[in-house]
Amino acid sequence: MLIRPVAEDFRVIGFYMGRIFLVVAAASLLPLIWAGIAREWHPFGSFLLMTGVFALLGVAGHRLAPEESELDWSHGMVVVALTWLIVPIIGAIPLLLSGHFGWPLDAFFDAMSGLTTTGLSLLSDVDHLASSLNFWRHFLQFLGGQGIILAALTIFAGTGGITLYFGEARDERILPSVTSTARFIWAVSVVHLIFGVTALGLVGWLVLGFDLDRSIFHGLMIFFAGFDTGGFSPQSTSIGYYHSAIFEGVTALLMVAGAMSFGLHYAMWRGPRRRVFANLETRTILSTFGFTMVLTLLGLATTGLFVNVAGLTRQGFFQILSAHTGTGFSTVPSAELAKWGGLAFGGMAIAMALGGMGSSTAGGVKSLRIGLTIKAVVNQIRQVLLPEHALVGTAYQQSGRKHLTPALVQSVMIISLLYVALYLLGAGIGLAYGIPLQESLFESVSASANVGLSVGVTDPSMPILLELTYMVQMWAGRLEFVAVFSLLGFFYAWVRGK
Amino acid sequence: MRRFVQVTFLATVFVFIPASASAAEEVPVHEILELGPELAGEEVIAEGELIGDYGFREDGSMWTQLNGDAYVDRPLREGGPPVGANAGIALTMPAELAEALDPPGGYRNRGPVVRVTGIWKYHDSRRPGESYLEVQSLTVTEPGRQLDERVNSTVVILGAVFLAGACIVALLTRPED
Repeated sequence: MLIRPVAEDFRVIGFYMGRIFLVVAAASLLPLIWAGIAREWHPFGSFLLMTGVFALLGVAGHRLAPEESELDWSHGMVVVALTWLIVPIIGAIPLLLSGHFGWPLDAFFDAMSGLTTTGLSLLSDVDHLASSLNFWRHFLQFLGGQGIILAALTIFAGTGGITLYFGEARDERILPSVTSTARFIWAVSVVHLIFGVTALGLVGWLVLGFDLDRSIFHGLMIFFAGFDTGGFSPQSTSIGYYHSAIFEGVTALLMVAGAMSFGLHYAMWRGPRRRVFANLETRTILSTFGFTMVLTLLGLATTGLFVNVAGLTRQGFFQILSAHTGTGFSTVPSAELAKWGGLAFGGMAIAMALGGMGSSTAGGVKSLRIGLTIKAVVNQIRQVLLPEHALVGTAYQQSGRKHLTPALVQSVMIISLLYVALYLLGAGIGLAYGIPLQESLFESVSASANVGLSVGVTDPSMPILLELTYMVQMWAGRLEFVAVFSLLGFFYAWVRGK
Repeated sequence: MRRFVQVTFLATVFVFIPASASAAEEVPVHEILELGPELAGEEVIAEGELIGDYGFREDGSMWTQLNGDAYVDRPLREGGPPVGANAGIALTMPAELAEALDPPGGYRNRGPVVRVTGIWKYHDSRRPGESYLEVQSLTVTEPGRQLDERVNSTVVILGAVFLAGACIVALLTRPED
């Protein structure tokens, strides 16, 4: 029997959401200050409005002060799912007021795409966008990649943190407490921020010949979108704008760092590095990357678009790395990507669908699930082939020796199947609107796996239902379903419960 | 005889040079993007706004972007409608060609509108896999200009009211220690 939520449930949820909104209000002071320094007064006004709304909601929620502030699993999941819906709605205010969107849903789409680190965009004329608005779009990807809940947890330690932490699709606690884990994740990110922005800024200034301030601006934007596998860029031609192999190389390193689980970062910082390569997840992602890379390069070789191996390898490598890490940067225009049929298309679509590592900033099914699924299938085959009473080993390496239990296999299979269903849902709706299968599937996988590569389907003229579908795909894909289903269950219980 | 050779040479020059110049075809930027491989190695004429940055590199070249979209004629900040993504290609040219250009387009200004003639390099082998237009000549058809910024005072007031409201609620409901 479903139990109808009572007023106290709403107070608990409102209280924790209020805390998170206060953190986001504090974060939204950054674009406000940026706009003030850059003397971009039109965006300044809209950032002031956004900060005011976040602050008011935050204070109001925080003042609900429930009698029992313990957060159980269902409350935690509802808080996470609702936060990831409401933050992009309010975060879309400055985008909408910028005049770069035809109507509110498009601005919401971009904010959702930013926060979920997808990178698909309906923004018109990004090349004339204010620098503070560009900062906000990219900073949203940073907030989303790190996890807005994680940001709150770093500041508000307390009961219920573990629920919120896992609700945001993180399945690994690196240090004993959630707060220390959150602080470690921020430490990793800040170190990468310093090195990433410095490296990209220096390349921009010394190699590309940009002005110093513009070099730092480009470095910061590409860092946010690269390390958090988001894929937005300050210019319409994405990484192709820079025309520099060195710039692409530094960006590639950031994408790889972003797609690595924070547990792996910890192991590389603290532990023996060779153990990193014994991990099932590391081996899986290296194998799938190699496989999709070969597939894509073979496919590209048959298209005849490239006249030499160096060009084919450079472009193919960057695109496939961007797809597999879930970043969505590109060095070729959408119109050309749409022509990559056959094997090249297959390689790209598979890479996007598989995604990066778990507990990273990347989306998709995730390498650990792929590795575990393959191991479970192999074990099943061995069980059938071996004598009836033979024991099949279930151990695997993942930050130590672990066992593949039936419960773990079931959970992995369910999430993986849900991803496949999500990919098919968007593809089906695209097909219903007359979009060819290849393009429908590519764009749907890109949205669900939070990649952001586009073959041109995502456009302000796209059907509203398709736009809404992509938004749901981005949201559900980023949260890996559990929090979303919990929210649906909560509302169902509110309506039908007793 | 010598005079005959001179006349013949000049005639050849006058007949063939204009002919080869007119062989360069004017192609809109979005078509260059769509027809990329078909135009590889061909001389094309393109028109649009210079945008983003002027990157003056060590080798004496300058790199920038040429946009040929609806925002060139009707920028959003001057009331143009939002009609989708930009259409842009990369340009490279000798740095001397770019010395007198107005600042490139961005938030504060509409960049200079230029008409360029150059060779379309599609997935060029010299710069592995890159596509760009190697500019040989450039004419500024419209200089760059500043774009006005209109501040919406209602939005600013609303924002201040919300922030003040948050402060008041926080103060009024402050728990007693």
